[in-house]
Order: sequence, then structure tokens, then C-alpha cells
Amino acid sequence: MNTSITSSVTATVALAAMATLLTACNSNPTRATACSLPQGPDLNRAIAAARFDLETGCEQQFDQYFQRLLTIAEGDPKKDNKSAFSDFLIWANEQGLLSKRQARETYTRYFGVKYVSLISDYSVCDQTCPRRAEVMREMNKELVDKEQGLLKVSADRREFYRANRLFQETELVLEATCEACGSIE
Amino acid sequence: MNTTTIRDRKIDRKFTGCLMGGCLLLLPMAVHASSQTPTIKLFPTTVLEEIKHTGNVAAEMETGLQTVIARLDEQQQLYVQSKCEGNEGDPGCEQIARQMGKSYLEMLTIMGDKLPEMETAVNSTSASLEKRIRRELGQKKTSWTLQELLAGAQLEGTDKADRPALRGRSGMRLSDRFHQYYKLVARSGGEVNSSLAVIASDIYLDMQETSSLIARTREEISRATLMEQLNQSFGTITPEMQEVVAGVKSILFGEEEPLMPMTAPPASQPEQAYDSPLNL
Repeated sequence: MNTSITSSVTATVALAAMATLLTACNSNPTRATACSLPQGPDLNRAIAAARFDLETGCEQQFDQYFQRLLTIAEGDPKKDNKSAFSDFLIWANEQGLLSKRQARETYTRYFGVKYVSLISDYSVCDQTCPRRAEVMREMNKELVDKEQGLLKVSADRREFYRANRLFQETELVLEATCEACGSIE
Repeated sequence: MNTTTIRDRKIDRKFTGCLMGGCLLLLPMAVHASSQTPTIKLFPTTVLEEIKHTGNVAAEMETGLQTVIARLDEQQQLYVQSKCEGNEGDPGCEQIARQMGKSYLEMLTIMGDKLPEMETAVNSTSASLEKRIRRELGQKKTSWTLQELLAGAQLEGTDKADRPALRGRSGMRLSDRFHQYYKLVARSGGEVNSSLAVIASDIYLDMQETSSLIARTREEISRATLMEQLNQSFGTITPEMQEVVAGVKSILFGEEEPLMPMTAPPASQPEQAYDSPLNL
């Protein structure tokens, strides 16, 4: 008799535990299925979807979301897209997804004329010339990102022209300066 | 992605390129630049004087060589018209060939006389510029502030169609190039420092290469002179001789080569640009 009662209680507790677990699963879907990159051609909707995902557990995939947004924006290039991405990055900073410095560098990398690859604290002779080739490679990669941000996303040919010209002038001036510094690689 | 490289030029243009570049600096003006931005002292009076001197030496060489080369052209024409090619044993053809050889030696002599002076002038200017670039751009600037300097010039020069473009100047006479530089100088009164940084860099690198080219040319002249003195005994015209003359002509009169492809600014009028608070 006692054994029968004990079995019934055990079975009830087990069922209750399973029910609780199932309920819990229903209210908190796993992030693996929730972190799906935004689809569709509408940038504003995509940004809204990205914001929702990024503040509900998908923050580790910030870079992928950002890239997807850029790709979506390429479908409808216009200068207004710059402000949309600026707002998105400011929001990401406010949410703690990016530091202010990261937000600034990301924006400048894609939508600015200047090159974040050139950020440095020490003189050209001391810091830049010893790794000039590497700096130029980084600038070249950044120019590709500016092509995406300024040309393909923002349709801003004038600013991209300036960025391209800045690349060429920097390359020339660095070559001469490093030759003068006597630290050519 | 492909980008045009500013310094993508042939070495045989370097020689003249630097001489020309020099004159650019006859713009005492630009040196004092704009009153709002800190002045970069890249072109003090001493450097300007050195550049001026280099330009004068180049002009003298041009004048001297022009006459000889014109004579060589006439002799070459006569040689061809007289159907001397393949008929070298003919006494008349031998005489023409010897005359050409003499003109050729005269050309080498003029170059040999002028090149040492030019080499000294180029090396001196190069050394002065090197010192200035090292101090003003290499030691006083970080790569970021250097970039800000260059980007600032772009903004200030947005509405000017004449930002310095030191490429693709071949295809014109040396004296015309000088004239063009003077015009550029006249327009660049009060030009911004950043343009000067680009100009100084271009001239400095040109002078570096020119210096080594002059040294090689001087060695070559000694060898070519000896060879031609030997050839005078036989009255022959060598392909090498024709090549040297063609090279000198290209220096003096320019080459017919397409200009460097450069991306051009869009034709549309500038609009009020969006300025993000994030933009560095």
C-alpha cells in the first residue's frame, strides 16, 4: 500500500516537472533558432528586426547583422542610408553592444572619408614607417569597405572620390616621408 | 579593387619630371600658406633657390641640345633618303654617317658637361627637401594628423579645379612644362599646406630617382663616347646610337603617351553632406 502511494506521488512529481519544463521551453525559444538574419528589401524593417534580435540574446552576432544590413541597403542605395546606419550604431552603443570608439570607427570605416587604419598616437617616422606596407594593406581593405558604404549603400560618389584621392595622396606622402625618415621597409 | 597609383610613372620621365617639379616651388606664396592653418615649412627660401638653380641648368641643357638634335634629325633624314641603309660602303653614305657620329658626340659632350652641375643641384635640393619632410611630416605628425592635413586640403580645394596633379606631364616640351608650373604657381597663392605636402613628396621622390638616373647616365655617356670615337673610324651608325638620341629627344620634347587614368570627381554639384555625430 505504502509502496503504491509512493509510486503515485513519484509519477505525479515527474509529470509536473516535465510539464514545467515544456512550459518553460515554449516561453523561451532557443536563441539558435531566433537569431536569424533579417530578410527582405526594406532597410528600416531589417534594422528593426536586427535591433530586436540583438537586444534579445543575439549580440554575439553583431557583425553578421551589420553586414546583412549593408547588403540589404545596397538594394536601394541613397544618401539617407548613411543616417540610418549612424542611428543604428548610436543605438548599438547605447545598448552596450559597441563602445563609443567602436561605433565611431565602424561608421567612419564605411561612411567616412578618413581612414581608421591610420589611427596612431606616435609620429609617422616612429610608428607608421616601420609598418608602412601593412598600413597600406589595411587602407586598401578599408577603401573596399568605403566603396560598399559610400558608393553601393549611400550612392555618394563625391565622398568616395575624396576617399580614393586621399588614399592616393597618403600613399605618396607616406612613401616620401618614410624615405626621408630613413626607415623604408 | 584597383586603385590608380600616383607614382606609376616610367623612369625615363623622372629625369625631366623632377626638374619641372622644381619650378612649382617658385611659388614663394604657397610657402606662407593660409593664415588659418599652421604653416608647414616645407619650402624655405633656400630650397626655392636650389630649385630655381636646378631649373636654370635644365633650361640651359635644353637649349644646347635642341640645336644638335635638330641637326641629327636632318642628317638621319638625309641618310635614309640617300638609301644608305644596307649600302654602308658608299663613300657619300660614309661621310653622312661620320657627320652623324660627330653630332652624336657633340650631344654626349653637352650632356656630359651639364650633368655634373645638374647632379649637384638635384642632390642638394633633394637633401634639403628630405630634411624638411622628415621634420615637418615625419616627426611632427602622426599618420592620423597627416591624414587630417591631406583631407583638409581636399575640403578647402573642393571648389577649385586646380588641385595639384603632378602626373601625366609627358608629351610636352620642357620649356612648356616650366610655363605650366608658373601658371600653377600663380594660381596657388595662398594655397593650403596640404597640397604642398603632396607637391613636396612628389618632387622629393622624383629627385631621388633623378639623382640615380643622372649617375647612371653619366657612366653611360663615358662608355658611349668611347664607342662612338671608335665608330668614327668606320663611319657606322649603330642602333644603340639611334636609341640614345631617341631617349634624349623624349626628355626634351616629351612623349606621346596617354595620360594617367585618374578617377575624376563627379560632375554634379556638391550637396549638403550628411554629417554623422559618429564621423571621425
